Amino acid sequence: MFKKFMKKPIGFKLASLWLFAVVFVSVTYDLFPYVQWDAISDFSQGDGPFKVPGHILGTSYDGMDMFTATMHGARMSTFVAVTSVFIGGGIGSLLGISAAYYRGTYDKVMSSIFNMILAIPNLVMSLALISVLANGNSNQPASDFRRVLVLTISLTIVIIPILGRIARASTLQWSSREFVLASKSIGTKNFEIIKRHIVPNVAPAILAIGFFAIGVVMIAEGSLSILGIGIPGGASWGSLLAIGRANLEYSPHEVYIPVACIGLTVISTNYFGDYIRANLDKRESKI
Amino acid sequence: MAGSGKAHMRPDGDRILVVDDLTVEFNLGRGKVVKAVSGISLDLIRGETLAIVGESGCGKSTLGKAILQLPKPTSGSVNFLSKELTSMNKHDLREMRPAMQMIFQDPISSLDPRLPVSEVLAEPLRVWNRGNEVEINEKIDELLRAANLDPAVVRDRRSYEFSGGQCQRISIARALALDPTMIICDEPVSALDVSVQAQILNLLQDMKDRYGLTLIFISHDLAVVKAVSTRVMVMYLGKVCEVAPPDDVYLRTRHHYTKALVGSVPIPDPDRKISAGLMQGEPPSTIDPPSGCRFRTRCPAATEQCVNEEPQLREVAVGHFVACHHPLED
Repeated sequence: MFKKFMKKPIGFKLASLWLFAVVFVSVTYDLFPYVQWDAISDFSQGDGPFKVPGHILGTSYDGMDMFTATMHGARMSTFVAVTSVFIGGGIGSLLGISAAYYRGTYDKVMSSIFNMILAIPNLVMSLALISVLANGNSNQPASDFRRVLVLTISLTIVIIPILGRIARASTLQWSSREFVLASKSIGTKNFEIIKRHIVPNVAPAILAIGFFAIGVVMIAEGSLSILGIGIPGGASWGSLLAIGRANLEYSPHEVYIPVACIGLTVISTNYFGDYIRANLDKRESKI
Repeated sequence: MAGSGKAHMRPDGDRILVVDDLTVEFNLGRGKVVKAVSGISLDLIRGETLAIVGESGCGKSTLGKAILQLPKPTSGSVNFLSKELTSMNKHDLREMRPAMQMIFQDPISSLDPRLPVSEVLAEPLRVWNRGNEVEINEKIDELLRAANLDPAVVRDRRSYEFSGGQCQRISIARALALDPTMIICDEPVSALDVSVQAQILNLLQDMKDRYGLTLIFISHDLAVVKAVSTRVMVMYLGKVCEVAPPDDVYLRTRHHYTKALVGSVPIPDPDRKISAGLMQGEPPSTIDPPSGCRFRTRCPAATEQCVNEEPQLREVAVGHFVACHHPLED
């Protein structure tokens, strides 16, 4: 497996190393013997990377260690992105595949719903959902859990039509192949045909776009944080970015470290999406 | 010429399939309706091979699929093994499926590219619970050998590793898996090389003799049809033109459209002059077909009568039926 990995192009290696690191840190963060990510240092405030011993990536203007904060932020950013793409992709694929397979009125209704959701700019929709469902008042803000939950749900709703349309288009193409007709003439039940013939053939396309979608969600999460309605308190990369924005002139690394993390992750997932699609095309051209 | 009628039906024979006045229409919206098949009647006697010929878009594939209720026809009746298919519910119709199978035109598209051949052939056997895994495996090997493929070599390969001819053999093996009574072959050889065509036709003929099959053979290639069929039905724009044994169709053609079709069969002789009187133009639209005889717009013998009156099939010689007001002389 290692040999096979070494033969892959350099972009593939870098992308998978970065994504592996992000996922690894997200899962194992609690095992690291570091200080609490939001513990305040009193001797180093706003120092840049590699300037103060013990703070590799420096400290924020408030005195928080940027390295631990970044590692901790990876967890929330990954969780939100992967969860919403996973759930949204699952629901979207289910709806898209069934719409394209059964056609008729059901398909028309589904496509209209997808188009309606796509017509609303996703930031505006997330903003509306969060301000309605996770609203607090000045005395008692909504709990962090609730804000994260509503944020994840709103990003899931953004993902459903994106992957739903991909699933629908791909299913339309595959279900017109004659092997589906052959299965029908054999007497295979529709559900079995979808399970055996449609899903395995549609899956690579959904997987490729699913990787792109992870990047889209990460950026959306960052944008919402900047607008002040993302995950609170610096718990994600987007949130760190939002806090650091206020101190841009004193400690710019507070902004560019989370931006670099988001950027690298988006580039890596995009690369993976492209890679899967390119290999899919290779397979298709053989047919 | 291209008309309706039931004179060619054979109520006395051992009929396994009776199609009566079958119509298939596709609604395009905005009041546009494609009349793909209009009032076709046919019957199929056990053991015969009925060939349905006509140019592209004449509704022959649609007719084949409508017989299998994929999708259900707009109107008319399909009676298979004395059971009416058009009024059946989903469950009963599914019970009938093993007895009627289909082989498709595009051999590669007929097989799921993700599944190895053993899985492709296991699907019908598993769906209908034909034995346990060991018995299914034996049956798969038997089917592959019957289709002249070596099970040890092909079992674990996928469709894109095969040539078109091999894929078509696998499709035939799959169609035979459930011991069907009737197989509808929808242009099974038109996507294949000429040399492979002969092999597949021979295989179909062998299978027919071995398993006592009844075939409907849909094709646009008259040379192929002549080799396999016992009865030929010529279609034009969703209507029947001529029904006859193959020799009558070729040697004693009575219909102007059939004559043009026979004349268009290429003859491999460079010195041969291209015969005059070949058909001109494109077939008219099936959304708005011509009145009366549907072939009249391209027919050299069309008269006023053809515009106003649709010709009915009538017997012009023993077993030879023509739907034309002015048939060719023998």
